[in-house]
Amino acid sequence: MPTFVYMTNCDGCGECVDICPSDIMHIDPTHRRAYNSEPNFCWECYSCVKACPQQAIDARGYSDFAPLGHSVRALREEEKSTISWKLRFRDGREKNFVSPIRTTPWGSIKSASDYEVPGQEAMQSQELAHEPGGLHIDELPALTPDQLKPGVV
Amino acid sequence: MMFAINPFAELTAFLPPIAMQIYIILMIFAVFVGTLADMIHKSSGQYFAQRRRKSETAAIRELSSADKVSMAIRTLAIEVATAGEFCNVQRRISHVLMFYGFIIYLVTTVIMVFGYPTQDTPAPTFIPLLWNVGVIMTLIGGYWFFFFLRVNVAHDGQPVFRLVLADLFIVTLLGSVTFAFAWEIVQMTGNLTATKITFGLYILFTTLLFGSVRWSKLAHMFFKPVVAFQRRVEEANGVSSLPEPATRNDRS
Repeated sequence: MPTFVYMTNCDGCGECVDICPSDIMHIDPTHRRAYNSEPNFCWECYSCVKACPQQAIDARGYSDFAPLGHSVRALREEEKSTISWKLRFRDGREKNFVSPIRTTPWGSIKSASDYEVPGQEAMQSQELAHEPGGLHIDELPALTPDQLKPGVV
Repeated sequence: MMFAINPFAELTAFLPPIAMQIYIILMIFAVFVGTLADMIHKSSGQYFAQRRRKSETAAIRELSSADKVSMAIRTLAIEVATAGEFCNVQRRISHVLMFYGFIIYLVTTVIMVFGYPTQDTPAPTFIPLLWNVGVIMTLIGGYWFFFFLRVNVAHDGQPVFRLVLADLFIVTLLGSVTFAFAWEIVQMTGNLTATKITFGLYILFTTLLFGSVRWSKLAHMFFKPVVAFQRRVEEANGVSSLPEPATRNDRS
């Protein structure tokens, strides 16, 4: 279900180029607007659909839920933390869905570069970044060596 | 006072006033022909007419003339006058600088060339001053955009000087305005050869700017407001494929 761009809606801001994990959203050299350069390699993660501030990116739905001739459009509303979807089928029927994007305010999550660089000790720890604090617990439960099967340690 | 002298009146030293007047008429004609050729090539007029017909047939809500007038006013005030379509504030400011700068530059050029063509008909001081204000606004907005805001450079990682077809408009615009400014300054020094060279480059880039409308994006000045207006109509009459704004707020 790869995505594609409506050129007349795109304002060429580059948000989709930045966010695409597959690096297939690029800028067209003739019109300076975004386009999906490799639909076959699209992960269908919809990051670009959700990131586009102009709602210029549409998706081709799978034929089992949206036969040819349909449209699937998303409207992201940051201030409400919602994303709404409208499916319009070729016979004129419509389906509308509203989903929460997140439970915390937009922009409240720090990026990796905002954190201090971990020390060597942290690099050797079995805990992942921001654990256990990020999970809002004091300590992660862990098996001690005597609890493991013989031969594991 | 510097920058308060009509640069086109000074041109009479080596060019008759009628030459610039004919040149401007030719450029207006080039823009008209280029826009028409662009419309025929892209079938954009046909596309807009078809989209409008479809929208009217499928309309869920009927719009009154007052609604349409209100939408046209909002399109003019938001999309046209303040470049409201841009979500990036820097691009919006840069576009507004270029838009108004270019219009001031064009209008004052036409006024000076046709209204005050020789030194015997001196232009009021504010007109050449406004011409310079237009030039400077266009240069600030244009170079800011060219070096820092072009999306293929800022987001797609392309080198600044790798030019593509989409750069045709900005490069010819910057060339025209930069050499207009350079020619004005050189002309003040009184060096006739340098004046002729900078003026020649100004004419070259200006001709490229207005002569390349068929391939450049200058014609977007005419198309963009139509698209923006149609989008507003489709949102209001229920034809838009975009979802309605969500009414439920899980966070509140």
